[in-house]
Amino acid sequence: MRNPYEVLGLKDGASIEEVKKAYRELVKKYHPDRYMDNPLSELAEEKLREINEAYDYIIKNAGNGQRQSYQRRQNTGTSGFTGSYQHDSQMVYRIKMLIQNGNFTQAQQLLDSMQVRDSSWHYLQGLLFLRRGWYDRANVLLRRAVDMEPNNMEYREALNRVSNQYYGYRHNPYYHGSGYRQSPDMCSICTTLWCADSLCECCGGDLIGCC
Amino acid sequence: MFGYITPDKPDLKIKEFEVFRGYYCGVCRAIAKRAGHRGRFILSYDTAFLALLLDSLNSSPVSGKPGRCPVHPLKKRFIVNYSDVLEFSSDINILLAYYNLKDKWQDERKLFSPIGLFSLRRGYKRVKKKHPDLVRDIEKGLSALNELECGRCGQMDEASEPFAGIMKKVFEYSAECDSAKKTLGWIGYNLGKWIYLLDAYDDIEDNIKRGAYNPLVIQFQYGENENIESFRQRVKKEVEFILVYSLSEMEKAFSLLDVKKNHGILENIIYRGLLIKTRQVLEMGAGCDEKPL
Repeated sequence: MRNPYEVLGLKDGASIEEVKKAYRELVKKYHPDRYMDNPLSELAEEKLREINEAYDYIIKNAGNGQRQSYQRRQNTGTSGFTGSYQHDSQMVYRIKMLIQNGNFTQAQQLLDSMQVRDSSWHYLQGLLFLRRGWYDRANVLLRRAVDMEPNNMEYREALNRVSNQYYGYRHNPYYHGSGYRQSPDMCSICTTLWCADSLCECCGGDLIGCC
Repeated sequence: MFGYITPDKPDLKIKEFEVFRGYYCGVCRAIAKRAGHRGRFILSYDTAFLALLLDSLNSSPVSGKPGRCPVHPLKKRFIVNYSDVLEFSSDINILLAYYNLKDKWQDERKLFSPIGLFSLRRGYKRVKKKHPDLVRDIEKGLSALNELECGRCGQMDEASEPFAGIMKKVFEYSAECDSAKKTLGWIGYNLGKWIYLLDAYDDIEDNIKRGAYNPLVIQFQYGENENIESFRQRVKKEVEFILVYSLSEMEKAFSLLDVKKNHGILENIIYRGLLIKTRQVLEMGAGCDEKPL
C-alpha cells in the first residue's frame, strides 16, 4: 500500500483536521457525479477507492474510531443510471449499458436502428456523443430531449450536469482566485469617483470639494 | 502546431517560469540537434507543454543546467537536459511542422515553404524511421482531415475529430501503463479539439476573405454580405461552449494523472493559461502571435 498521507497529498504526520480537510476536497474532486459522462469514470472510481482506503487507515490508526469514509455513506460502485432502470424499455436499457461500458460502436448501431426518434432517442444519442467527445452535438440533443419532455428529471439532470461542468471549469477558483486581473486600475477608479461626484452635484451635494 | 498552449506568465513564480522556459529551450536544442539550426524556427509552445507534461510523470527531479544558445548568445539560461521525453517532443514538433509546411505549399504556394521543407526533410525521415506506427497514424488522421475539408464538412465536432485523434495518438504514445494511456489520450483528444476549433475561430476573417475552408463559416451559414465582426459575435457563444467544455474534460483527465513534479506550472497552464487564451482569441482574435520566450 502506498503511504496514505501521500495519497491524500499531505506530509507525513499531518493533523487529523488536515487529513479530514484534504479528504473532503479529494472526494469532491473525484466524485462519481463529476465523472458521470466521462470515459475515465472507472479510473476516477479507482482513485476514490484508494483515497478512501488511505483515509480509513489514517483514521483507524489515530484511534478515535471515527470511521465514516465516503464509501460507507454511499455506494460508489455503480454510478450512473441506476435509479431509473425499472422504467426503461428493453432497448433503452441495453443502450444505456453499452454507453456506460464504453461500447460506443454497438450503442450507435442500436440507436441507428431505432425507428422512432423520440425524446429518449435524443437523450441517449446525446449521452453517447458526450462520451465520445462530440460536445456541440451532445448539447443540442440533450436540450432537444428536455424540450420534448420537460418533466423528465433524468434528461434535465443530464443537461444540468453539462452546464455545471462548463461553468465549474470556466469559473474555477484557481482562475478567479488571484485577483490581479479583476482589480480596477487607477483610471477606472478616477472615472468612477468623477461620475459619483457629478451625480452628487446633480442632487445639490458635493463629493469632492475642489471640482 | 499553433502555439496556443501557454502559461499565464504573471501568475507563475519566477522559478516556475525559468523551469518552463528550460523545457522550451530544451526542446529547441533537441530540434537543432536533429534537424539542424534552421529547424529552430519551427519551435512551438505546444511541444514545450508536451515535454513538460510527459516529463512530469517521471519522479526524478528536473535536471538541467545554465547554458547559452545561438538564439540568445549573451545570457546564460536554464536549459533542461536532453532526455527521451525531449527527444520525443522535438520529433513531434519536426513532424507537425513538416506537414504544416507541406500543406501550405500545396494550398498557397508560399515561396519559403520549399526551403523549409528541404531543411526539415532529413529530420522528418529520421522520425518516420524511428516511430513508424505513430507516423502512419498521424498521416491517416491528416488524410481524413483533408477529406473532410474537401467535402466542406460543416459540423464542428466532426471537423475537429481527425486532429483531436492525432493529438490523442501523440499524447498516449509513450504511456507506460493502460490507465496512463487512457488518461493522456483523453487529454490529447480534448486539447486537439480545442486547438483545432480555436484556430478555426481565429482564422474566420482570413478564411472568409480568401474563400478558404472553415467549418464554422459553413456550420453557422455565413451570409454573403454579412459583416465579419458580427458573424464572429453571432457564433461566439456556441464556439465558446465547445472550447470550454473540451478544456473541462481535459482538466478531469489531468486530475487523474499521477503527476510527480512541476505541479505549479501545469496547474497554471490548465486552470488559467488555456482559459485566458480562449478568452483572448474569442474577444480580440489575437491569439496566434507566438513570440519566442
